[in-house]
Amino acid sequence: MKKYVFIFKSEFMSSLQYILNVIFGFIGYAVILFVFFQLWEYLYSDPNELINGYTMSEMVWYVIITEILWSSLGGRKLCTKICNDIKSGNIAYNICKPYSYIGYVVSSHLGSIAVKTAIYFLLGMIMGFFFLGGFPKLSLISILLIAFSSILSLGISTLLILIIGLFSFFIEDAQPFYWLYSKFILIVGTLFPIEFFPKIVRPILNYSPIFAICYGPAKLFVHFDMLYALQVIGIQFIYLVVVYFICTLLYKKGVKKLNVNGG
Amino acid sequence: MLTVVKNQVKVTLLNIKYALMREMLNKTTFITNIVFMILNNACFIVQWIILYSIKDNVGGYTFKEVMLLWGIAAGTYGVSHFFFEKAYTLADTITEGKLDVFLVQPKNVLLSAITSDVKTSALGDILYGFFMCFIATLTGIQFFLFFFFCITGGIILTSFAVILGSLSFWIQKADMIADTGNGLMTNFATYPDGIFKGVVKVLLFTIVPVGFINYIPIKILVSFQLDVFLLIIVIMFFVVFLAFFIFNRGLKRYSSSNLMNARI
Repeated sequence: MKKYVFIFKSEFMSSLQYILNVIFGFIGYAVILFVFFQLWEYLYSDPNELINGYTMSEMVWYVIITEILWSSLGGRKLCTKICNDIKSGNIAYNICKPYSYIGYVVSSHLGSIAVKTAIYFLLGMIMGFFFLGGFPKLSLISILLIAFSSILSLGISTLLILIIGLFSFFIEDAQPFYWLYSKFILIVGTLFPIEFFPKIVRPILNYSPIFAICYGPAKLFVHFDMLYALQVIGIQFIYLVVVYFICTLLYKKGVKKLNVNGG
Repeated sequence: MLTVVKNQVKVTLLNIKYALMREMLNKTTFITNIVFMILNNACFIVQWIILYSIKDNVGGYTFKEVMLLWGIAAGTYGVSHFFFEKAYTLADTITEGKLDVFLVQPKNVLLSAITSDVKTSALGDILYGFFMCFIATLTGIQFFLFFFFCITGGIILTSFAVILGSLSFWIQKADMIADTGNGLMTNFATYPDGIFKGVVKVLLFTIVPVGFINYIPIKILVSFQLDVFLLIIVIMFFVVFLAFFIFNRGLKRYSSSNLMNARI
């Protein structure tokens, strides 16, 4: 475990050198939030009107939280890195090192996005306050539980992208799968809460990764409830174990197919 | 003069042809990239179905018009990224000194540089644009106009990317400005202009030319106006001129990095 903490720390320190990149990246995120604020402001004729159980303010906060979790993740970069590692044979360097490739990727990725996520959270909150004129009422314990749930969400997302990247062992380029996955998360997970979908698909979405990585933490932020918080965190733990198990299985199967030609 | 233009067009098309042939070496990846990009864009239909279940009209657009907006956005993005993909990494090309290889060619430097690569998945965007045309049930003339606006929009989008990329001649880290600016265009292009107000709306028809790429073409497709149609052509030539002007001014400041590079 110590070695993964060290990898996390070194990536964290390295990412501190690129604060300017993070700030520029935030402009893109801010534009998306601005567009959504305008969109929901247009759709809600009265800010207190309820659409599928959400007021305008709750809807905007929901999008702010899900967008923070998704935009700060840097999923495309991670998927490209894994695909390239496998395609170019670079993964061979990691295989012979005394750590697990999965542990290495997860710790280094989480280390590299830690600063970005913190900055996005801070600036996202400022933008939300600026747009909506206030925060949802949350106690200190609820803030800590939401933060913990968000960290679990980032861990699950990283492992899910790792699974997609590991497909490169079997097909040459797994990135098109990532495009589809990212759009699925974006539309079904970040833009709308599950209540906006037809009743038939809601149970499926409640059991899908959407619940663990987007809906759960964001719903806690807009409608906090202690019992629900424990339920969300419990489901996230189950997801974490299952997704890690799939990753390990896929890696073990894939690495047997690896063929590196010298270099 | 005409022969020079003819030769330049010929070389540009050959550039694109060879770049495409390179991409087609692995046919499975080539086809997967196109098909998945179409599916990727199609996912957004779900978003609009949900939004239209809340309200019949979003920003003054009907569902069909939003599909058309997506069609034009995908078509223009596709044309720009397929034919001029390198315009989007022009900032890196300049800062890394990779322009040298284009400078020694007896052809236009900017055109040679931005047409030296293609983005396969952008073909999926172009096809998706035409798919949206069928959903919106366009007439023959409307279809022709749609095709025309994909080209004008693609050229304006590319020129905007060239202008942002050319900032690298003057400032460092211009790649970040270019990426942010280009991303901004895509974010605004896929939402009806009716939801934006005040200064933002003015910006969308001036500094960020999304209005001339997407919004005005949609209005012309719904009800044709010759003066607005001609305005788009004038704006396109103006932005192209501006892109060449800024790039050529910047090129005078360019100094080689002595990077050994060969185009095979």
